[in-house]
Amino acid sequence: MTTQDTKIEKEAGDLSRRDFLGLLGKGAACAGALVGAGSALASASGGAVNALGGVGPAYQQADDQYAEAVKNPPKIPNYNWTQHKWAFGVDADLCIGCLRCVEACKMENSVQMDRNHTRTWVERYVYLEGEHHALVDSIHDIKNVVPGSNETRFKFDDRYKDGQFEGKKVEKAFFVAKLCNQCEKPSCVQVCPTGATYKSVDGPVLIDTKYCIGCQYCVQACPYGARSLNHQRGTAEKCNWCYHRITKGLQPACVEVCPTGTRIFGDRMDPESPVSEFIRNNKVNVLQPAMGNYPNVFYKGIDKEVF
Amino acid sequence: MHKHIVRLLTLVAIIAVVATTAKFSVIQDTFHQYGHYRGASVAQIAAKLPQHQGSASCQSCHKEIYAEWSSGIHRKAHKDNKVVGTVIKGGVNCEVCHNGPAGNHPSKEAMPLSIEDQVTTITHLKHTTHPANVADRNLMRDPEDMRILCTNCHEKTVGRPLRGKDKGGVPQVAVDGHGGKAQCNSCHNPHSPTINFAAIPRAPVDPITGKALPVSAEKSGDAGAGRSVAAMCSACHGDTGVSVNPEWPNLAGQNDSYLANSLKAFKAGERKNDLMSPMAAGLSDADMRNVAAYFSRNSCSVPGGDKAQAELGKAKAAAAGCVACHSSGGLRNPGKDGVSGAQVWPNLAGQNAGYLALSLKSFQDGSRTHAVMTSVAKTLSASDIDNLAAYYATVSCK
Repeated sequence: MTTQDTKIEKEAGDLSRRDFLGLLGKGAACAGALVGAGSALASASGGAVNALGGVGPAYQQADDQYAEAVKNPPKIPNYNWTQHKWAFGVDADLCIGCLRCVEACKMENSVQMDRNHTRTWVERYVYLEGEHHALVDSIHDIKNVVPGSNETRFKFDDRYKDGQFEGKKVEKAFFVAKLCNQCEKPSCVQVCPTGATYKSVDGPVLIDTKYCIGCQYCVQACPYGARSLNHQRGTAEKCNWCYHRITKGLQPACVEVCPTGTRIFGDRMDPESPVSEFIRNNKVNVLQPAMGNYPNVFYKGIDKEVF
Repeated sequence: MHKHIVRLLTLVAIIAVVATTAKFSVIQDTFHQYGHYRGASVAQIAAKLPQHQGSASCQSCHKEIYAEWSSGIHRKAHKDNKVVGTVIKGGVNCEVCHNGPAGNHPSKEAMPLSIEDQVTTITHLKHTTHPANVADRNLMRDPEDMRILCTNCHEKTVGRPLRGKDKGGVPQVAVDGHGGKAQCNSCHNPHSPTINFAAIPRAPVDPITGKALPVSAEKSGDAGAGRSVAAMCSACHGDTGVSVNPEWPNLAGQNDSYLANSLKAFKAGERKNDLMSPMAAGLSDADMRNVAAYFSRNSCSVPGGDKAQAELGKAKAAAAGCVACHSSGGLRNPGKDGVSGAQVWPNLAGQNAGYLALSLKSFQDGSRTHAVMTSVAKTLSASDIDNLAAYYATVSCK
């Protein structure tokens, strides 16, 4: 064997290993980029249309899949999901923080009864005199639950006796009801590894508990903290606007029991529906618009610090 | 071909077969039908049965309560009375307080007829025992303490919007200063909570005009002047107010305001009695105050009654909620039974059994009416009435 041969062989050997790995890396990167671009394109075309309340493919739904959704809709009696586009309104000016919605939701959806598991909840924002940031009270926090009430009964404790807290006067306070925003571009759907959560054509983001493996990626992905893990079932838990009720022509349970009309629900495809009127007649806002999720819960009367 | 290549290819082939089999057997047919999910799951999620049924579904059995509620403030609170599906939008629906009844409610078939008859005639004073305390059924939140239930919405709380015109706020009360330890439903009917304040004057109040008096002006009639008026009453009610006939009421020791109010009602025709109506027609406002003051200061006596009946009556008085008003301690606290909590309500202690029974019967048949007593009397049987009358005729009136 000549020196030349040895050199060639050596180069060839080096090339084959390094180049192979290099090529593999480049190839993977290219493939990833392609896939990424493809899905981004699909989501952009799907989500952008629906974010404005229009009709079209849902998030991450291809055109042929949308065509199938129109042609063979799911077999729900007297209901076609392409004819509805549900939306939710919260008029925070009316909320009295009675928490009837929380209890009704737990009853309706078999949510775990303790205060750490909720599909919908209520927060109280309290501004003290001279403070620029709000104190946020939530029923998840034991100090805001009435002493003596048990783990399954909910009531805000008034820790601001005589409008005072630690010697400071309460300047402004209000309640805000929170629930899943059923976003047009849901982060939770994007991260779900098993296809257990998805954006339905009529709006709600649903969870298929049969496919959910309880990995909780979605819990972390949600910018609104709307998801939790149901420790009894071992699957993800979140509000779906009582999909089993709205597909039967009923209101979600929380809307049904809200005694003040804070919670408003309806079909955006029907201009006369309560939520269409609510959005039309009020200056509404969504939570954290900068996150780019395009929420479908519209708020009236919330403050800058509500997110 | 080299052995190791063959092994590799075999392995690849096995993996391919397993993967293909898995794809067709494990992945559901409907996966990818509408997207990266199981298409069949949409209908499965929608198939779940609703728990909350809406107020309209309560109407089919609880007709009277429904009518009471639908004409009251808890129904009328909202301007938008649109009916959407089977659910009445807005308003404080049944299931706001009775949370869980539709889900935990006994089915109509499972319910004995007698109970179904009961639910259509149930009245609000029984609210503390029905429907909340049906064994093993969580039909209502905090049924045993209405103050916890009502204050969910009506307690004065920071952050709760104040009530105002065209605002959504609800009436907010500081509980300690409002009713103390009394249960909300001793005065408010939870199904229609507005109290007709005109009918329940608050002390100090002028019993004749019904107008509130400043505390310093609280002055009852002149008992001395009343004595001369009382002369015309003595033929029936005795000189000191102890009647000669057990079917006529004893006036001795009766509450001042109640007596004056009664005379006023006879004169105005709101209460009718062949003997009393013409007598009261001849009295001036001052006469009424004076004669009421006179009789209220006389000392009462216990007429007595059947002991066995009185025992039964005592139990019924507690169950029917009589003590809410006709005990000095109210519903929850110990007090003198038969001695009423307010001057405008009559003391039952020291009263004739015959008269008490007659009064309850007149409330029952509608010949005498009162916002609370009419509905209470309708829940009583004939033997209940006799027992209650015997009981109150035997309790101490001092």
